[in-house]
Amino acid sequence: MEAHKRKGVPIPIQPFTEEPLRLLDEQGNPVVDFDPEEHLGLSPSRLVKLYEDMVLTREVDRMCWLLQRSGKAAFHISITGHEGAIVGSFYALRPEDWINGYYRTPPAMHVRGIRLAEIFAQLMGTALDPLKGRQMPGHLGAKKAQSFTYGSGVGLAHVVGMGMARALQYRKTGGVVVTYGGEGSTSEPHFHSALNFAGVYRLPLVVMIVNNQYAISVPRTQQTAAKTIAEKGKAYGLPGFYLDGNDPLIVYHVMRQAADRARAGGGPALIEALTYRLDPHSSADDDRKYRSEEEVKHWWERDTLKRMRHFLTLKGLWDEEKEEALKERVRLDVERAVEEAEAAGLPRVEELFEEVYGERPWHLTRQWEELQAEMQEQEGGH
Amino acid sequence: MPVMNFAQALRDALRYELAHDDAVVVFGEDVGKRGGVFNITEGLQEQFGEERVFDTPLDENGILGMAVGMAVMGLRPVAEIQFVDYLWPGYDPLYSEAAKIRFRSGNQFHVPMVVRSPYGGLVGGGLYHSQSPEALFAHVAGLKVVIPSTPSDAKGLLIASIRDDDPVVFLEHKRMYYALKEEVPEGEHVVPLGKARTVREGEDVTVVTYGMMVHETLKAAEKLEKEGISLHILDLRTLIPFDGDAILHSLERTGRLVIVAEAPRTVSFASEIAAFVAEAAVDLLDGPVVRVTGWDMPFPFKLEKHYMPNVTRIARGVKRALSLLP
Repeated sequence: MEAHKRKGVPIPIQPFTEEPLRLLDEQGNPVVDFDPEEHLGLSPSRLVKLYEDMVLTREVDRMCWLLQRSGKAAFHISITGHEGAIVGSFYALRPEDWINGYYRTPPAMHVRGIRLAEIFAQLMGTALDPLKGRQMPGHLGAKKAQSFTYGSGVGLAHVVGMGMARALQYRKTGGVVVTYGGEGSTSEPHFHSALNFAGVYRLPLVVMIVNNQYAISVPRTQQTAAKTIAEKGKAYGLPGFYLDGNDPLIVYHVMRQAADRARAGGGPALIEALTYRLDPHSSADDDRKYRSEEEVKHWWERDTLKRMRHFLTLKGLWDEEKEEALKERVRLDVERAVEEAEAAGLPRVEELFEEVYGERPWHLTRQWEELQAEMQEQEGGH
Repeated sequence: MPVMNFAQALRDALRYELAHDDAVVVFGEDVGKRGGVFNITEGLQEQFGEERVFDTPLDENGILGMAVGMAVMGLRPVAEIQFVDYLWPGYDPLYSEAAKIRFRSGNQFHVPMVVRSPYGGLVGGGLYHSQSPEALFAHVAGLKVVIPSTPSDAKGLLIASIRDDDPVVFLEHKRMYYALKEEVPEGEHVVPLGKARTVREGEDVTVVTYGMMVHETLKAAEKLEKEGISLHILDLRTLIPFDGDAILHSLERTGRLVIVAEAPRTVSFASEIAAFVAEAAVDLLDGPVVRVTGWDMPFPFKLEKHYMPNVTRIARGVKRALSLLP
């Protein structure tokens, strides 16, 4: 590691490793001698902010569960356990970059500049929701945050993101697109189309696979016979990096290098961040049917938040007092955001008919008239 | 005005839009150096370069997924699917993404893309080079569907489709590419979407049709004229949104309706027109509504002439609408 201690020389990363790359071990101790500022470009204050944003994301997730259980949200799909992979990767991007997230990214979207109240508004479908209540919870995106909206079709984010990358390349913006999906998304044709086209056109695209080891109930070994997801990059002529996704620092480091390489015209990359889904797949899932409590407990002991906290403490940047203050702060921020989101009320019905097409065609005008008559009768009947 | 065939008119539209808007990009299998297997994009890569006009891997999912992504970022992609029969790996990005993005994003994003693709039979193409699956696009809220029947309309409607801010499926009958010629306006020529064209004025029966069947219906009109039956022919040009007013106006005069299309009959676009008239203006009808269509079967290779609607089938349909045949 001596050679890498010079300023500005990044820690080298290798594609296609059999073991996941990491900077921190499962407890959060550094496995190599590195300085976050010198070698990763993460100042102490930014390192602390990264951890604070991971904690805030977990608190947002916890509140999403509460709102779902109390009937205020129809559904929730959890980010708990994935914060290192998702927040760590968001931190590596620049303002000119775009993300094409998936259903686990919304609780972390505050990192991209979406307000907490908007995150909860999307969850509950209130008028403050940038999607105007049109989508189920877990599909947040906002143009102002350069974050595309998620459909529900697994893997489509990859192939559409590939096209977004082609547009950035055409317009020479210097931006990169990062698409997200679980390891299940790599079985869909969209993943292959995206990597194949991206390889051919050397697109500024990074495909980020958050491998949480289960696609609902189906384990990773039933998804592919390949040893890693990352090695699939080889067949498309691009590097695939296999990382410990519970180590936010390696995620940050590899994403930054992959994105910078892509923006410089070096071509696309595939990243597989190995993590674990600590909650059931969604509020509609019962994970006791397919995995043991011992297994879940094993991974809670390796929780990404714990690791990061341990590392910050080692560095002298964190203590119990700061932890307590942070917890109080995020609790209040989240509560206030929920209040604001709820206060916004329902989205407008007439906009449904206005935004199927840019201009409303005659047949939708007729249907809108039908609905108005129906609503009038319903109101009259009450 | 220059005389152009269908293929030249399409190329003229693409060239005009490429020259006037740098957001327009054209791509698909073989569209670059080869100029497309039907030569529609011939010479365009040479003129506009490989960034504007380019080949893709053989993957319709990739082609249409890429088009959606480019469109949401503000480009105006024109993707060619070599035969519409092969579009289906790309139906997911079209159906699940392109059609729904404006709505689902709360109008933050929209998808100004065009999918050009040859459709239709009587080309010796068998099951997988002959189909007319327009109903599978027309059913999807958020998509527009355009099918031109003449070179002049091909140019004007393609330019309008490229400039439209929503996704358009633009189907071109492959048998017409080199079979039809007419005068086509040079330069700027826009035919607005959603407006039908009166192909022929007539008194007795309204025939609503589109694509190559417009020409078959014209032949039937000549035959029926000799028998004293006068057809009023409407070319829809745009299926979604279709010109309902033009149909109703015409029925005020004729009171009889036949729809001619080569797609299979059941749950077809012809059925939609029949249902529309039955709901909106059943009092205008003096006889049964008749659909003259292909049969409800996969498209046959050797016996395709028995599959395709022809002058006899159209004439018999007209006579049924007039209650002259059972």
